[in-house]
Amino acid sequence: MGDVTLEHVSKHYDDVTAVDDMNLDIDDGEFICLVGPSGCGKSTTMEMIAGLTIPSEGKVFIGDREVTNLPPKDRGVAMVFQNIALFPHMDVYDNISFGLRLRNYDKEEIERRVERAAEIVQLQGMLERMPDEMSGGQRQRVAIARAIVRNPGVFLMDEPLANLDAKLRVHMRTELQRLHKELDTTIIYVTHDQAEAMTMSDRIAVIDSGQLQQIDPPLVCYNEPANLFVAGFIGSPSMNFLDGEVTENGFVSTNIDVEFDPADLGVEPGADVTMGIRPEDVYLVGDEALVSNPSRRIDAVTDVLEPMGDEIFVYLKLAETTETDLEDTSGVANDQLLMSVAPDTDIEEDEDVTVLLDRSRVHLFDTETGEAISHGIETTVQTSGAPGTEAESDD
Amino acid sequence: MSSETPGAGLGSDDDDMERGPLGRWVDSAIKNPDRVYRAMFYVAMLFFLVTTLFPFYWLLVLALTPNNLIANMGLVPKGFNPEVFVAMFERVPFHLYMFNSFVLGITTTVLVLLIASLAGYVFGRLRFPGKGVLMLGILAISYFPPAAFLIPLFELFTGNTAISIGMVTISTPDLFNTPAPMVFPFSALFLPLSIFILTTFYGQIPDGLEDAARVEGTTRLGALFRVIVPLSAPGVATAGVLTFISVYNEFFFSFLMNNGEADSWAPIVAGILKYQGQFDTPYNLMAAASIVGVLPVAILVIIAQERIVSGLTAGALKE
Repeated sequence: MGDVTLEHVSKHYDDVTAVDDMNLDIDDGEFICLVGPSGCGKSTTMEMIAGLTIPSEGKVFIGDREVTNLPPKDRGVAMVFQNIALFPHMDVYDNISFGLRLRNYDKEEIERRVERAAEIVQLQGMLERMPDEMSGGQRQRVAIARAIVRNPGVFLMDEPLANLDAKLRVHMRTELQRLHKELDTTIIYVTHDQAEAMTMSDRIAVIDSGQLQQIDPPLVCYNEPANLFVAGFIGSPSMNFLDGEVTENGFVSTNIDVEFDPADLGVEPGADVTMGIRPEDVYLVGDEALVSNPSRRIDAVTDVLEPMGDEIFVYLKLAETTETDLEDTSGVANDQLLMSVAPDTDIEEDEDVTVLLDRSRVHLFDTETGEAISHGIETTVQTSGAPGTEAESDD
Repeated sequence: MSSETPGAGLGSDDDDMERGPLGRWVDSAIKNPDRVYRAMFYVAMLFFLVTTLFPFYWLLVLALTPNNLIANMGLVPKGFNPEVFVAMFERVPFHLYMFNSFVLGITTTVLVLLIASLAGYVFGRLRFPGKGVLMLGILAISYFPPAAFLIPLFELFTGNTAISIGMVTISTPDLFNTPAPMVFPFSALFLPLSIFILTTFYGQIPDGLEDAARVEGTTRLGALFRVIVPLSAPGVATAGVLTFISVYNEFFFSFLMNNGEADSWAPIVAGILKYQGQFDTPYNLMAAASIVGVLPVAILVIIAQERIVSGLTAGALKE
């Protein structure tokens, strides 16, 4: 009932393409997150599933029915909006029962269902209140009750937690997961917050510039990003990227080289590649016991420390360049590396340190197309000596 | 403030000066501007009250004076004849004329609110090419003088216009002495104002609410009448009251599109003229009828004034 399929769906506005040839296959009962930066087309995608926007091309299916041109009311979907969108002139009971009353359910049935929905979202005893007498979290729960009361095949949630404060957001996140477990209905959830997507969903659909970049379970998106965009978008703080070139001996960039046999990874020597490494996969020398497949050592100077409590983010300056562009940490910066270390690490700003990378966690991307080439270099064994005893290489 | 501390500042030298009464008054006015503002407020209020209420009072004076004594009227009634308010209903069925006015007013108001709601939804909430031009067109039409339409409309509504379709010639139905030739021109004339008021209001309802209603199971129209209209109640009330009052006060079409009889849907204006006989002009009855005719609208405005004021200013304050 609740499976949703988009076939080659596009939406063009006057001169903008909001969604470009989107193919999505969502299974019944799945919790799927559409993530991407603002303006990437994720909300438009959801509106096309809801029927609030009619696609320019392509087909939308819900269950086995094609719904491409059906109005929203005939699609059997329910939606929770970012601005909550409770009807301010109706009390909570009337808000929740709005859809049921439109469908001419009889009074007892409506009452029974509203009671049940209110119970699920823990709103008992508040049914007489008006929306403006409630807190943000309570209103959000009313909106969710209004959505679940009709037993829809598909829930659509458009950044429902974006307007809540941080603490409430985390709380509602768990509530939503509990709700999903309880109802076992398909949930399509739009968010720009990758942390929300990571924690809640069965699968994440990463969207950029109207195009689907990757649709996979959260950890697959995290560990095996399909391209540079997904690698940079998923994970906070973002992955480090270094531009370089493939040589006979592996990856070479201005400051960091990683050795591997290009043939094992199927790249031609001479190809332009971008290497990605997550901050938690950069280690201080001394912690290399944790690393199964360490790289050569890299000299660096600590720049800025960001203690987060459970870890410390360390910005490393790799070269002797004095100008470090901190604004550009998400993009490619060959002279800079972000590392995360344990909170009890003894480290100061402007300190000379030696670090190494976990080679099994190194990602390589084609610089031109952004497509991933490989995730982790495990196949090649390091050519020279044991990791701890190795001297600084001078390629 | 130098005036508060004697001996300091420029004004201190003037304290000993000999002043006339005007000088002292000016001095106190400068020191106490509040008193001046209050005085100005009273003067302005008095002016408005006199100009608006005096005609009303004078109608009362005329009504209470027996008709044979009405000549060279001053400010007080020459006699006391409250029976006039009964006599006016005996001479002319004025209640029927009032009923006609109400029916015309309410029909027009309902029609205008319906059409203006649809137009307001389109202009306020949808994006489409030519919107600005259309809005401008509506504004322009609202400035046309009704007299310009009168003769063609009269011909149309009295069945003097024939339309030929091929071999068949259909003449328009004769609607003279029915409500239609009044209600249609009224609606057309008073629509633009309502469209503008409702466009402003409907445009301010967040898109999310309409989307929510549509996902919950309404059509666009359903969302308009179940969510957007109730939330724009002050605007709808304003448009409705203004339309009703305009129709109630309308003279031109009300006078010309019927024969002036109560059973020909003639409104109040015809009723008042009906007192005019061949051999007498009962000014006291006409004055009494005028007062009775004004009362419903006066009551309506007093009840609805808060909404009208908030409705007219709400659109102006936002954005």
